[in-house]
Amino acid sequence: MPARKYLRPERLPTYWCPGCGDGLVVKELAGAFGDLGMDASNTVLVSGIGCAARAPGYFLLESVHGLHGRAVPIAEGIKTARPELNVVIFSGDGDLLGIGCNHLVHASRRDTDLTVVLIDNQIYGMTGGQKSPTTALGVKTLTSPDGNTDRPVDCQALVKAHGSFYARATTFHLPLLGKALRAALTHRGFAVVDVRSQCPVNFGKRLGFKNAYEMLMHFKKAYRPVAGEVDRLGPGEIGITR
Amino acid sequence: MTGRLILQGNDAVALGAVKAGLDFFAGYPITPASEILHALVEYPGQVKVLQMEDEIASINACVGAALAGAKAMTATSGPGFSLMQEGIGLGHMVEAPLVIVDVQRVGPSTGMPTFGAQGDLLQCRWGSHGDYFPIVLYPNSVSEIYTQTIHAFNAAEESMSPVVLLTDGCLGHLFETAELVDVPLKTRTARPLGGGSRHFTSLTHAGDHPKATVPSAHQELIAALAAKTAGVAARYAFYEYLPVKGADTLLVAFGAASRAAYHFKGECAIFRPIRIFPMLEELAEIARGYRRVVVIEMNAGQYKLLVEALIHRPVGFIPLLGGAVRVSQIEEGLKKCLQEST
Repeated sequence: MPARKYLRPERLPTYWCPGCGDGLVVKELAGAFGDLGMDASNTVLVSGIGCAARAPGYFLLESVHGLHGRAVPIAEGIKTARPELNVVIFSGDGDLLGIGCNHLVHASRRDTDLTVVLIDNQIYGMTGGQKSPTTALGVKTLTSPDGNTDRPVDCQALVKAHGSFYARATTFHLPLLGKALRAALTHRGFAVVDVRSQCPVNFGKRLGFKNAYEMLMHFKKAYRPVAGEVDRLGPGEIGITR
Repeated sequence: MTGRLILQGNDAVALGAVKAGLDFFAGYPITPASEILHALVEYPGQVKVLQMEDEIASINACVGAALAGAKAMTATSGPGFSLMQEGIGLGHMVEAPLVIVDVQRVGPSTGMPTFGAQGDLLQCRWGSHGDYFPIVLYPNSVSEIYTQTIHAFNAAEESMSPVVLLTDGCLGHLFETAELVDVPLKTRTARPLGGGSRHFTSLTHAGDHPKATVPSAHQELIAALAAKTAGVAARYAFYEYLPVKGADTLLVAFGAASRAAYHFKGECAIFRPIRIFPMLEELAEIARGYRRVVVIEMNAGQYKLLVEALIHRPVGFIPLLGGAVRVSQIEEGLKKCLQEST
């Protein structure tokens, strides 16, 4: 399998909880690297802090695991200093759309040639299940016991405001995720792949899902793939925009 | 560029940085440091300049660029320096060589943006959480700003850590004749990002393995960082000592305040640390020869605390607050110190 050469099996088992979606995204990204025949010696991974941010440690590539919310500016520094490097960011919804949201907006505005893989599980999983910037209205979390009253961040709107690449997929729709990652990696300019993922331990349980499988089946029902490339994805739609 | 020029301090930082081989600058406009950013955009093709959305982004971009092999710098003043603190800790943790210029202004908070101060001394030593051991240099003339900027880059390369170059709003905007004297450059031995499988992590680590739950790994990491910077700092033990025959008072001053202290060099000895941190052991030795030691600084008593701890006795103190640096104020302060210690 061409993906294997980009990974570090000796670091397994992963740090993540059983049923976490992060490993699926790692596998799909390694697969996309393999499909595109990407040069491992020329590819660098960057992350901030959070569950998703631990992903670079499982790749057999050079990587930087920086500060909470700051993966994007670290990556911009790397890419500006060494434009020949492919720079890929792993981030979560708290990291990218909460503490680091300012950087997302401005990197998109600068159209820095970076690929951002956003693993959106709609919860602060690592810290125990607090509401996140993408938690849906009404959802009960550790810090919204009566239901979340904050409207979720619209990542697509933020990124598309400056005409950047945006794709959305889920950890159920893996072929679409692979396609979106390949499209983002070959896009010249700022690209975000927003992956709806499951946190069965600190989120699913509170929502009444018994396990990760039930959450994946929910993604299957709740999200509808859109063929081709569109201007904008509607609510519940997954696919690629340009 | 060498020779004599009329320059302001901020321009000397830019010229020194370019001379030192600056490849990358990320910054955010702030008074009284902005002229450094303005000067560096004049070197297209030589220095890549990013005007970021804030100082947090600026310092993190510098860490990324430094790991990618660039000689990187950012420049700011108090409010921005406060925002950078977490990123400075990151730079120490992942061993990223870079230079942070802090053109100090009156604080706290927005304070007096156009007036110089020396209120960031303790912040540049202990501003980020956890234990780290920064090298901090503080010149006091436009000529010296140029040379010390180059030394700051060299110290960063040798220590593989963020080095702070302190100036202040007085020196940053001070125009004077400057003699640009170059020093030999240090080059990096560490391999830039790419081509291997290293994992640079902000977690406590051993090599590139996260060890976030292993106390002994943390103890070893901190001991290694301390030993590394101490070894390098020893090669940057810059200071100025002006003894005077018969004097029983030693004035300790640095940066803009030391320029005012020079007025008293006929009657008092002067010790001016240029390497502000780690503190110079030489001061402890020299202070033994004087009946009293008086610290003059533009804050409410930051370095004074540390001088007392270093020389193990009380020291006199003359604060110069609110951006005012007046010889008359030092005169009055000295009179008070003399009365108190007689």
